[in-house]
Amino acid sequence: MIRKAIAVVAAALIASGSAFAGGDVSGKISWDGKAPGRKALKMQADPVCASKHTDKVLSDKVVVNENSTMMNVFVYVSKGLEDQKFDIPAEPAVLDQKGCLYSPKILGVMAGQKINILNNDGTLHNVHPKPKVNTEVNIAMPKFMKKKVVTLDKPEVMIPVRCDVHPWMSGHIGVLSHPFHSVSDGMGGFSLNGVPAGSYTVTAWHEVFGSKSMEVTVADGGSVAADFSYSMADFKKN
Amino acid sequence: MQEKIYGYWLPLNVSTHGEAVDQLINVLHVFMALLFVGWGIFFVYCLIRFRQSANPTAQYEPIHAKPAKYIEIGVIVFEAVLLVGLSMPVWSDFKDALPSESEALTVHVMGEQFAWNVQYPGKDGVFGRKAPQFVTPENLLGLDPDDPNGKDDFNSINNLHIPVGRPILIKLTSKDVIHSFKVPVLRLTQDAIPGQEIPFWFNTTRTGNFDIACAQLCGLGHYRMRGQLHIQSQADFDAWLAEQEVEESDDEFSF
Amino acid sequence: MSVAHETHDDHGHHVELPFWRKYVFSTDHKVIGIQYAVTALFFLLFGFTLMMMMRWQLAYPGQPMPLIGTFFSEANMPGGIMVPEFYNQLGAMHGTIMVFLGVVPLAVGGFGNYVLPLQVGAPDMSFPKLNMASYWVFLPGGLIMLASFYAEGGAAQSGWTSYSPLSNTAPAGQTWWLIGMIFLITSSLLGSVNFIVTTIQLRVEGLSFFRLPFFTWAQFVTAFLLLLAFPPLEAAGVMQLMDRVAGSSFFLPSGLVISGQLLDVAGGGNPLLWQHLFWFLAHPEVYVLILPALGIVSEIITVNSRRPLWGYRTLVYSIISLGFLSFIVWAHHMFMTGMGTAMSNFFQTTTMIISIPSVIILTALALSLNGGSIRFPTSMLFALAFIPMFAIGGLTGLPLGLTAADLHLHDTYYVIAHFHYVVAPGTVFALLAGVYHWYPKVTGRKMNEALGKLHFWISLIGINVVFMPMFFVGMAGVSRRLYDQTQYAYGAQVQGLTAMSSWGAWFLGAAQIFFIINFFWSRKNGEKVESDNPWNATTLEWATPTPPPHGNFPEVPKVYRGPYEYSVPGAKSDFSPQHVEEG
Repeated sequence: MIRKAIAVVAAALIASGSAFAGGDVSGKISWDGKAPGRKALKMQADPVCASKHTDKVLSDKVVVNENSTMMNVFVYVSKGLEDQKFDIPAEPAVLDQKGCLYSPKILGVMAGQKINILNNDGTLHNVHPKPKVNTEVNIAMPKFMKKKVVTLDKPEVMIPVRCDVHPWMSGHIGVLSHPFHSVSDGMGGFSLNGVPAGSYTVTAWHEVFGSKSMEVTVADGGSVAADFSYSMADFKKN
Repeated sequence: MQEKIYGYWLPLNVSTHGEAVDQLINVLHVFMALLFVGWGIFFVYCLIRFRQSANPTAQYEPIHAKPAKYIEIGVIVFEAVLLVGLSMPVWSDFKDALPSESEALTVHVMGEQFAWNVQYPGKDGVFGRKAPQFVTPENLLGLDPDDPNGKDDFNSINNLHIPVGRPILIKLTSKDVIHSFKVPVLRLTQDAIPGQEIPFWFNTTRTGNFDIACAQLCGLGHYRMRGQLHIQSQADFDAWLAEQEVEESDDEFSF
Repeated sequence: MSVAHETHDDHGHHVELPFWRKYVFSTDHKVIGIQYAVTALFFLLFGFTLMMMMRWQLAYPGQPMPLIGTFFSEANMPGGIMVPEFYNQLGAMHGTIMVFLGVVPLAVGGFGNYVLPLQVGAPDMSFPKLNMASYWVFLPGGLIMLASFYAEGGAAQSGWTSYSPLSNTAPAGQTWWLIGMIFLITSSLLGSVNFIVTTIQLRVEGLSFFRLPFFTWAQFVTAFLLLLAFPPLEAAGVMQLMDRVAGSSFFLPSGLVISGQLLDVAGGGNPLLWQHLFWFLAHPEVYVLILPALGIVSEIITVNSRRPLWGYRTLVYSIISLGFLSFIVWAHHMFMTGMGTAMSNFFQTTTMIISIPSVIILTALALSLNGGSIRFPTSMLFALAFIPMFAIGGLTGLPLGLTAADLHLHDTYYVIAHFHYVVAPGTVFALLAGVYHWYPKVTGRKMNEALGKLHFWISLIGINVVFMPMFFVGMAGVSRRLYDQTQYAYGAQVQGLTAMSSWGAWFLGAAQIFFIINFFWSRKNGEKVESDNPWNATTLEWATPTPPPHGNFPEVPKVYRGPYEYSVPGAKSDFSPQHVEEG
């Protein structure tokens, strides 16, 4: 009797525990071929921006790291989590305007999560994302305004963000209904943590080279590898 | 620039047509001041001389205002002289006497919310074709990628560099709303209207760096749509041009 | 010429109206005049308050507004500091409210409505119900304008001039602005018809056109301006509304790229079309702003100098030609739009020509003082101040009307100073003069003179401190509508003058408290007038009981002479009223 009870409790514990355990999806985004060049940005269009940099500033649109991996690729679970509800993180996401560049260039948030847009540049930035699904945001952040809180309520991948005063500033925000997103770093690596067990489509997105997807199955406590690869062949001139 | 460029009246003038503009403004204001003061003296005189305690009974008959009639005629003649003698010729010169493309440096300026796109034709001297569907954050001008002439064009955002003493022909337009290109030291304003390309010209008399402002409300960033006019010696300008032309590589493998 | 008397039943017996019909939905031109005047005075105060807020940001860019800054929303004034979008809203609404909800309704709807039927000897306007309708279309228009501050994205923020394409792509408040304008324009059209017909049809016997008081002439010409000039703007307003909500492209060319994205519109339109339609109204509109003021000032100056208006016929011909010429100068607002020499030469010339009747009128007013016996009640002080102030405004229009000078001055603070001099110490002073002057007729009491003089002197000094520096700020090259002029070297250089203007504005605002107190206090406590004609004036509005009853004149008056027969040699007294037979 007691053994049965312990078995039931243990099973219940394991079952409930598995809701918190989840698995990881990680990998790297590699680049095949010669790394493309990076154009110089015209920081001198605004003397305040120019004063924040000592060297020439190169575009971060296509960044191939030294180990032939790509930076700034947005990786997220695109299919398979539609039925599940997740808590909106209390911690706000941060989008900084630093030296007249968006930092991070690619930002992932949950729908309804607060985004702290920062401006420590001491000049006017005009935060102007152009969503298709969400309500348009177009706000001036004059030099006195160091922070502005914005929320995007509907899932939308990907929203281009622009500053109308400094037109080279280009960023993207991916709004998802869940918190499983990541942006590839300076080593080309990304990691989606705590994904509930199940089968999903994981998509990598780059603003120039487009999207690539693959199917993964995540087990509790398990770790799945998902590597993506881009090359110039993915570049579609339009 | 340590010298005084901007004060409480007209700023320094660096354009060739500016002198005539300043003459018109100054002569006109002297005229206006004389009229106002003269007429004002008469006005105050009447208030004092004909106040009730000094003049208990008013005069029914109107005063003969011969002087007023002559002054009025004088005013009309003076206005006509200013109009036909000063304003119309300056305006006509500004509007009609556009320099030819061979003697002038031609630059295409395209305003947008909230920056000035300044397009130079590059080494080939030919401006590339532009179209709105090609606009991206890297290609703000919307240069047509299929047009070889556009490969060496470059956009010197907010910074208009010109050589001193040479006529400059600007072809001005806008990408989105009406802006207006204003440079106080050049005595020059020209609206930038989307859907139209408006040419205007000027010539300069000295070097220096001066403010360019937007003079037509264009949105929340209107106050910050600021450019810089760099009037350089021919040598400095050529050096700057060479530097820009090197940077713009026609590399399809560059982003 | 019969006038409907709804207050009479079939047997001609007087029927007492309920409160609602007497004071709210009244067809009596005097009640409607007071409704317009009080509403307009409120809007003037509101519109001025918007500017007083803007002046803080102008004087101290990026600083939190003391005391009241925190009352405003996080979106508009986070931490009490104004954001550029809100600054633009305040700017656009200040202009709109002052012109369309303040000055014109007070000058035409208020003074015109109240005084004109009295001056022609009529019992009411020709179309009393239409008159009532015009007020009740004006009021919702005004309320829509106020409510637009709560639209998503805020109120209209593209200037009172609402140039396309900016206004086409602006937030929702612009749509409300357009709807509000349609109401306001309709109201003006209804009113102007009334004024014209009343002046032509209801003049009493003996009151020929050249015996009309100059005030009536001014209102008459103004009504034509409103009637003929407003329809193009109403059409343009509907067109811009359609562009915004119905997908048309009247004012949108093809290929617009807004913030990096191609605008999905049909295209093929032209932004200049909006400008032409707008300015075709808006130039005559500024004469609508000034003509009633000239009329008011003429009345007050003649009454208080006890002699006839100098050159009455000349004045009448001048004001008619001013009205006519006002229709052919509009593109001087558009000199910098890429206009060629032929067009601009035409408009420069007409603009120079239109200065002539204005100079004649001002000179005539000054000459009217010569040989007079001048008294200086508060009304006269304001009316006298109008003259040099309007002269400054008018003279400074000359550089703007010459294209070569306009090359430098276009869209700078010089323009702002120019038009404010004509409207603010110009028209608004004349309107204040009119309030002090006709208050006894409306209420039976005079306004307090001590408060009045205090109001006058502080306002006169304050208003010059506001606007005189702006000529220099503009000459230095500073553009209009800048949230922060210190971004430019030349703007930073003259920032001190800008701050001075702001302090002038706040003092000017404070001075109006004397007027507001006086206006309400005198209603019950002002010095009671001893006669129906306390100023000893000659025109017919002073021949009625005080206040005039419904129907105005107990007996229909007859007119025997011109409107300004003061100090006629050999007459019994120093004024010979129009309706009294013996001189």
